[in-house]
Amino acid sequence: MSGSTLLVGPFNRVEGDLEVKLTLEDGRVAAAHVNAPLFRGFEQMLLGKDPRDALTITPRICGICSISQSAAAARALAAAQGLTPTPQGDAMAALIHAVENAADHLTHFHLFFMPDFTRPAYAGRAWHERAVARFTPMQGSAQRAAVEARAELMHILGLMAGKWPHTLALQPGGVTRAPTARDRVRIMATLSAFRRYLETTVFDGPLEAFVALTDADALLGWEAGDAGLFLQIARDTGLDGLGVGSGRYLSFGAYPMGDGHAFRQGVWDGGPSPLDLAGMTEDLSHSWMLGPSAHPSQGVTRPDEDMRASAYSWCKAPRLGGLTFETGALARQVVDGHPLARDLARQGGVLARVAARLLELARTQILMEDLAAAIDPSATFMLQDETPDDGMGVGLVEAARGALGHWLRIERGRIASYQIVAPTTWNFSPRDTSGQPGPLEAALVGAEVRDGEDTPVTVQHIVRSFDPCMVCTVH
Amino acid sequence: MSEIETFYDVMRRQGITRRSFMKYCSLTAAALGLGPAYVPKIAEAMETKPRTPVIWIHGLECTCCSESFIRSAHPLAKDVVLSMISLDYDDTLMAAAGHQAEAALMDTIEKYKGNYILAVEGNPPLNEDGMYCIVGGKPFVEQLKMAAENAKAIISWGACASYGCVQAASPNPTRATPVHKVILDKPIIKVPGCPPIAEVMTGVITYMLTFDRMPELDRQGRPQMFYSQRIHDKCYRRPHFDAGQFVEHWDDENARKGYCLYKMGCKGPTTYNACSTIMWNDGTSFPIKSGHGCIGCSEEGFWDQGGFYNRLTSINQFGIEENADKVGMVAAGVVAGGVAVHAAVSALKRAQKKSQDKVED
Repeated sequence: MSGSTLLVGPFNRVEGDLEVKLTLEDGRVAAAHVNAPLFRGFEQMLLGKDPRDALTITPRICGICSISQSAAAARALAAAQGLTPTPQGDAMAALIHAVENAADHLTHFHLFFMPDFTRPAYAGRAWHERAVARFTPMQGSAQRAAVEARAELMHILGLMAGKWPHTLALQPGGVTRAPTARDRVRIMATLSAFRRYLETTVFDGPLEAFVALTDADALLGWEAGDAGLFLQIARDTGLDGLGVGSGRYLSFGAYPMGDGHAFRQGVWDGGPSPLDLAGMTEDLSHSWMLGPSAHPSQGVTRPDEDMRASAYSWCKAPRLGGLTFETGALARQVVDGHPLARDLARQGGVLARVAARLLELARTQILMEDLAAAIDPSATFMLQDETPDDGMGVGLVEAARGALGHWLRIERGRIASYQIVAPTTWNFSPRDTSGQPGPLEAALVGAEVRDGEDTPVTVQHIVRSFDPCMVCTVH
Repeated sequence: MSEIETFYDVMRRQGITRRSFMKYCSLTAAALGLGPAYVPKIAEAMETKPRTPVIWIHGLECTCCSESFIRSAHPLAKDVVLSMISLDYDDTLMAAAGHQAEAALMDTIEKYKGNYILAVEGNPPLNEDGMYCIVGGKPFVEQLKMAAENAKAIISWGACASYGCVQAASPNPTRATPVHKVILDKPIIKVPGCPPIAEVMTGVITYMLTFDRMPELDRQGRPQMFYSQRIHDKCYRRPHFDAGQFVEHWDDENARKGYCLYKMGCKGPTTYNACSTIMWNDGTSFPIKSGHGCIGCSEEGFWDQGGFYNRLTSINQFGIEENADKVGMVAAGVVAGGVAVHAAVSALKRAQKKSQDKVED
């Protein structure tokens, strides 16, 4: 099978559509080309609209990370208005956003990632029967429990955000609902039920004990719960060495509050450095997009209707200082400095990405409890300011899947430019002018493809370890 | 069809007790607005009828409908969603991938020819021969037409499939087109909303599976049982509207008191949906309850009405009520110049027309 190509797609159990073209040599992936085959043109639709309409339109880019899009739009507008939300407004926005991110991690693990281990290809492995019982799509007992726990956790979104998906509660100056003392009690009760679920089912142990793990060896010794099942599978199938990334990580900083973030902002390339987006570009050389490569504040979105042969994806290719960066829970925890994440970053493969998501799930639960406990019903939760006739603003947030940025320019009271760079735009970007493959494309190289496999399991694991959101990628 | 199980068989196999099953039947009857007399009918239908296969496909969309659906808050929702309805094909949740998945779709169509319900989330973009949404190497519009050909009926989930939604917003770069403009020869039920409420989705699908027919539809093709009343009709802030007590500013005292959001651009008075009765996320709340106006996401064209914070300036279908601005001025003594009116006249006319249409029904 040397020198053959294999087109993998459509992928199911990812949000949106995805195709991956693999060039195979001697049973391994020699090169990968990732195509995001869905384009809607949100950046074009936003032009000429009332800037505030971004709060309603951009969340509808994605039904899974819609609050992340809301939060980025609200931040961009606040920046354009020169408005700083009140501390309690920030904290409630953080809580609302954290609920979505925690729910997304739960969904990814249970509905998107683990079901691949129920495939017949793994029959006979010591863990296979348990994986089938727990994670068979739409039937597995862990899947059902997760869907239920997630729906209950989202009562907080019902309460504070009115509805989910697609809330309207996040505004530039804070949140539209001031929680009452009664809301605070309900939120805390919901969170303690969610902790109980995490501690009896997902981790089967205290969250604090999982968060206290400091290295990969200690992690692999965690045997309890579905996390333990995953780690057993990871040891048996060598997930640590699969889909290894570049080791460069980027985080815009999660949950901005006051001057800082709950999870720090920055980049990691063997060591930490501050985030500086001046050197950021979106490269269009291999995208079906017209125009020059540009910083998002100068960027345009003009689809190439001829779909020229030298390009292969609707996705633009974001680069920082000319380099690819991986973004997501692993990147966030590495940048934030968690010892386990920093140790996992040395492997940088499927195990590292999925384990970092579990780590972050535990840490996020603790963060949400702290935020809820600090709710002060007498505080001000919202400020209002006029949208300027002319101005610019950038909204940088962290979606579950990684760094999300909105770059807004207002002229004569209308949106003159709106550019969105989503986490999976970074992770699943195509090649750039220098021929450098995107993070997923690079991570797929070397993956084993056995004879006769037309949906190679290794490729499935690697692709899903990034938790792609294709509808955000190309919007 | 004899080899196909009944709903009850499927539920039993999932370990659901008789008692839970009967409870499900009575709750379904209640949710659908049917009397207790319907409970045995529902039970009988589920015990004797072969379950109806459902194929669920995704076009240009954001998956928010699926997200809403899997969070369905029905007491037995997880069983309804994960077993009873038995989605025979769903590309977001199923195990298969790639060619296997396409084969599964073809098999399901072949096996249940003429008997399955096609649920469509999202819509086909028609520009450039449909190349903006490619599924399995082919434009989604082809998959849609193929799957529709042998379907018994089609459910258009959400604002995308029903009307186009935000991706059809001006200038509609991809020419995103609602399902009923592409499929002309099949019964189509629209379940709009962005997304629709989970209980509305399960209610509609349960009705169709149980009674083997479409629920009664309004002139726009929406099920009347869920879309016959305005948000405004059952809004818990309605007394403040009638009393002329309005939020004027996000951070004013009136916002904290929970006054009416009409002046903040609320589209509740012209939006037909069940948000203010069934509510969201297990009945916890709905947008107005969280302090933000309704944007009218279950109405056609809600995305291009000239600004979501523009106010409907005149609502004159209310009989005894005055125009809300006048009520406000009388009750609160507000000076006319104190309130900026940002009306988009065209938007307003559309909205009014809709209400009037409704009244004539």
